[in-house]
Amino acid sequence: MVLKKYLFLLLIPLLGMGLINFTPPNWNEDTPVQEVLEYLGESKPGHSLLVGNEDKNMLIQRGEDIVKRGKTVGPDGRKSKFVSKHYNCTSCHNLVQEDPDLKSRDPEARLDYAIENQLPFLQATTFHGIVNRESWYNDDYYKKYGDLVKPARESLQEAIQLCATECAQGRLLEDWEMDAVLAYYWSLEFNLGDLGMSGEQMKSLKNLAGNSSTHQEAKELLKRFYMQKSPATFGDAPPDKNAGYGLEGDVERGKSIYSLSCLHCHKEGGVSKYTLDHGKLSLRHIRKKIPQDSHMSLYQIVRYGTYALPGHRPYMPHFPLERMSNQQLEDLRAYIEFGAR
Amino acid sequence: MKKVFLLGLVFLCTFPELSVAQESPFVQGIFRGSRVINGHSLETLRAGEFEFLISHRFGTVNSGARELWGLDQATMRLGFDYGVADWLTIGVGRSTFEKTYDGFLKFRLLKQKEGSSPISISGFTSIALRSAEDLDPVRGEFFDNRLFYTYQFLIGRKFGERFSLQLMPSLVHRNYVATLVESNDVFALGVAGRVRVTKNFALTGEYYYPFEDQLATGFHPSLSLGFEIETNGHVFQIHLSNSRGMIEKFFITETTGTWGNGDIHIGFNMARIFKLKGRWY
Repeated sequence: MVLKKYLFLLLIPLLGMGLINFTPPNWNEDTPVQEVLEYLGESKPGHSLLVGNEDKNMLIQRGEDIVKRGKTVGPDGRKSKFVSKHYNCTSCHNLVQEDPDLKSRDPEARLDYAIENQLPFLQATTFHGIVNRESWYNDDYYKKYGDLVKPARESLQEAIQLCATECAQGRLLEDWEMDAVLAYYWSLEFNLGDLGMSGEQMKSLKNLAGNSSTHQEAKELLKRFYMQKSPATFGDAPPDKNAGYGLEGDVERGKSIYSLSCLHCHKEGGVSKYTLDHGKLSLRHIRKKIPQDSHMSLYQIVRYGTYALPGHRPYMPHFPLERMSNQQLEDLRAYIEFGAR
Repeated sequence: MKKVFLLGLVFLCTFPELSVAQESPFVQGIFRGSRVINGHSLETLRAGEFEFLISHRFGTVNSGARELWGLDQATMRLGFDYGVADWLTIGVGRSTFEKTYDGFLKFRLLKQKEGSSPISISGFTSIALRSAEDLDPVRGEFFDNRLFYTYQFLIGRKFGERFSLQLMPSLVHRNYVATLVESNDVFALGVAGRVRVTKNFALTGEYYYPFEDQLATGFHPSLSLGFEIETNGHVFQIHLSNSRGMIEKFFITETTGTWGNGDIHIGFNMARIFKLKGRWY
């Protein structure tokens, strides 16, 4: 009996020193990354969902409606108004994985992935895993929106409101709409299976998680498999638009960019009245403007976009370099010039 | 008439496939505006779209320099069209010519589709009310005598990205005709075309032939030629026509001028589309 007592006392410092392993929960590919992080001691993010499970499915459905169609049926049973009269969230954002490797933002790899999966190739980042990020409207977005991005960088809710009011030229979301959109975003969070970890890496994570003294190490390991922020670097149009960036364009890749990017909005029936297709008339129209010092030049419009004007609020957002590289812009030009012949 | 109509259909259905690949399986933009020149195109507005259409037709260019070749004598029509659904457009208008009010329904019956449907078809029906003074001030007129009805099929096809063609078998019913030699029902066949020169510039033409022995002497087929410029949200159409009226009962059954005599009216349509319901773009 006395021996048992001493053994117990001996265990207390051993526990504190983390020398005794606990078996971690039985994580698998479907385990949400946030659940793992919280197990490892990470605090809940500011955009955590504060509703009971009984409301969750309804919220997700409403959030999906808002994201895909711009409006939904509210808690009062009435149809809500469009968040933006001009755009859906999906005009600029995908809802599924768009980078083959979540650890990097390589536009060339993303284009390959988009072609393979026939995904739109868009200006803004996907909502898949948006709740797993820790910062939004990063880097050069300050150049475009100034101090407006400061709260948006720290808070997903603020980022959503900035997107709704500035990017989409719409209105602020009401509280219930914000809850719904967040619920939908949480339904798109990363699971362990999304991170592309090998069996060995998963085993290492579990081993580290099994020891409270190595939880910090486990968190760091886990976060190496996805980016917590999307970098945004704004590029410039080339000074000589005839010469372009001096890179040789690939016609086939340019055609894919034209289909997956330009026509996403500019096809007949799309969100833009400026309609395009693969015909010679459209391509010649664009080609003619390429060398011009005009906002309609391909270089100008991709690198700087357009701006909201009185009487015509919707505008085209520009592509940061991480979303369309200079090489891809030359690919696009090559296709336009080839198709316009 | 049947033969001409059938020949036209055969032509539309058998012309070689030239169109370029489209993102949508349906062929879009057979015509850009809701009107070709005077008459309707088969295009309907998208749901929630409201089109404000201002049309002018000036006097004949052979009226001389004193009349500034017709520019001193304008008639106009104000039109308000609305897309109830993507397949159904309704509209009302008022022409200064004979102080005429009109209303119409236009509905999609078939859409040209790659690999399945070679043509698009819309149905069109309208009613017009002439509110100008009585034609016969002594006898007076019944209200019914002021009414005119039009029924059309608008059958069209886009051949590649540049060329679109439309046939318009038409029936205009007039409750009142001035003489016994005129028919109350006037059958006509129209043909219209559009050739895109650039992305936003196109040439247009339109011809309506009323079949023999239905109209009194002095009335002629309507021939109009023009061009159109598309901008963001607007379509400007500028044209020459031997018809002065801008609704079917005028240009199909009451065209008095001929191109050979120089009875040519300069005119324009200016359309601005607003979005009243649903998403703006």
